[in-house]
Amino acid sequence: MLKKRLIPCLFLKNGFLVRSEKFEYHQLLGNAIHQVERFNAWEVDELIYIDITSDDVYDIRRDDLKVKSEDNILTILEAVSKTCFMPLTFGGRIRSIQDIHDRVSRGADKVTVNTQAILDPGFITEASKIFGSQAIIVSIDVKSTKQEEYEVFYNHGKTATGLHPVEWAREAEKRGAGEIFLNSIDRDGSAEGYDIELVRQVSDAVRIPVIACGGVGQFKHFSQGIVDGNADAVAAGNIFHFTELSTKRARKELIKSGVDVRN
Amino acid sequence: MAIRYCTRCVYPSSSAVPLQFDENGVCSGCRVAAQKHKIDWDQRAEWLKELADEYRVRDGSNYDCIIPVSGGKDSWFQTYYVKEVLGLNPLLVTYNGNNYLEVGLRNLKRMREVFGVDHIFFTPSPQTLIKLNRLCLKKMGDMNWHAHCGIFTYPVQVAVQYKIPLIVWGEHGFLDLGGMFSLSDMIEMTAKFRLEHAQRGFDWFDMLDDKNPGMEEGLQPNELLWARYPSDEELEDAEIRGIYLGNFVNWDANKQTDLIVEKYGFEVSPEPFDRTYRRMSNLDDMHENGMHDYLKFIKFGYGRASDHVCKDIRSGKLTREEGIELVRQYDHVKSRDLLRWLEYVNMSEDEFDRIADTFRDPRVWEKNEDGEWVKENIWGGKSAYPVPKLTGSNIDWSHLQKQPIPG
Repeated sequence: MLKKRLIPCLFLKNGFLVRSEKFEYHQLLGNAIHQVERFNAWEVDELIYIDITSDDVYDIRRDDLKVKSEDNILTILEAVSKTCFMPLTFGGRIRSIQDIHDRVSRGADKVTVNTQAILDPGFITEASKIFGSQAIIVSIDVKSTKQEEYEVFYNHGKTATGLHPVEWAREAEKRGAGEIFLNSIDRDGSAEGYDIELVRQVSDAVRIPVIACGGVGQFKHFSQGIVDGNADAVAAGNIFHFTELSTKRARKELIKSGVDVRN
Repeated sequence: MAIRYCTRCVYPSSSAVPLQFDENGVCSGCRVAAQKHKIDWDQRAEWLKELADEYRVRDGSNYDCIIPVSGGKDSWFQTYYVKEVLGLNPLLVTYNGNNYLEVGLRNLKRMREVFGVDHIFFTPSPQTLIKLNRLCLKKMGDMNWHAHCGIFTYPVQVAVQYKIPLIVWGEHGFLDLGGMFSLSDMIEMTAKFRLEHAQRGFDWFDMLDDKNPGMEEGLQPNELLWARYPSDEELEDAEIRGIYLGNFVNWDANKQTDLIVEKYGFEVSPEPFDRTYRRMSNLDDMHENGMHDYLKFIKFGYGRASDHVCKDIRSGKLTREEGIELVRQYDHVKSRDLLRWLEYVNMSEDEFDRIADTFRDPRVWEKNEDGEWVKENIWGGKSAYPVPKLTGSNIDWSHLQKQPIPG
């Protein structure tokens, strides 16, 4: 049995790391690099880095810092890769095979694909043939509709697909995805814990690993994602920014709950 | 990209504290301030009492916590709260950057007596400080890097050395001013915050000659021992935890100052500051409200008065219109403490101005045909901001000259 993984997620918007709420409101936490240095020092299992910029502006708005403002995502990735010694997943705004090449050649071990996979599910197959399934994570953002049904959304969580996440996760698996990154738009930034029902439905529907994200507000929420949600990996964005040695403390909590994670 | 301003306070998008604006043009700092009304502060106070009980050293074998203090209004309030409300026995720790105003130093020294607490007062060698002042002006446009580093480093060193796990900080400045986090996050102090936000990413080793071609000051590693943050292992072993009182108390600087003035005799500045209307802030460092802050104007086009106005608009003390008037009056002023600073580090004003100009942010500043620096104003339109010379004029700066030896 593979060990369960704990994965911090960094969301980058316009060059800033951000704290996110419901995919809509983003508070600026700093530049692209320093938090990576910390996660590195804390020996996390892996790191997921997602660019959620919706225009083409990358600017940290000042030039008196040690970390210089870079105006495009690929130079930012190069700087991140120089700092990052853990397995790195780099996603966001990937529309073509060339986009994946650009990221893999700059140090990404895996990429996440979201919108492009919805627009053209064949892209998953093509990408996993070229880069290997293990390098292609399909990222699925889910929101509850008014009828209280789960529905997959894309385009920064703004556009509905009419797809149920279970159906879409199975399709992604069939088409060659190596993993599913499952995020809940409703729980994003809520600190209420994972949407366990959602995580379990998707985890039970596919054989490939499912990474749960969205809603962690206390370290004890992580074990719930694994024990109750059957996820293979648990991820979070906001909470790891809040306290010192956060990933180490979260891992201790997982071990205390009897989850088999790397020591 | 044009500078935009918060529609509620006066912050520009060029703020040094990174701001986000919502769909109504309200900045993240104002949104956090609005969050304050929705928080159950009684419950927060209860949480803090529980936390204090967890850290209380019942056999009296050690201090219960550390309070990093400058002797300013926040230090007094923190100490009042920790000692009088929570009933803890704190150790006060001060980093002295050699820039105290007389009144600030008097306030600091009186804390031990007023609150009946022990106090460590640490001062790096003035020679080292002078080198750091000069280097950091050239390197990052801020002579006060040493102060930001010392304040966020030395108390944590003491916590590790004395094995006192709890450190009680005041407000989280970036959360309060810029809304970097939310009050629901219960943010604690991190090494990342120190390095990235307080020190702009520069650590002690960035001050050595090999990192600073053309700006060498000959700084040696053993002059910067106070600037080394404890390792993760040390933090983990001593279980260090730095909490912010601002997460537990509905922070209101004006009300808190009234309390410590009336109840304990805290002194506000008898002299007005050149760059802000508040007389209760930054008494521990004449350059913090002065030339350090003037450099913020040079870089980003706004200053301390804007910071204070934002706080006072959010707490209901000022209207936005009154605030804009204060911004117009204060933000651009070249302050008299420059004369002390130039003498202290032995630099000419021309050289200072030349260095400062290299930090003008192109997002904010442009030059007009007369070669003057021009920027947009919050009250509309653009103005030129010619740089006056203070040296050689008859400006009185005697209140900044007396530097009593701290006892």
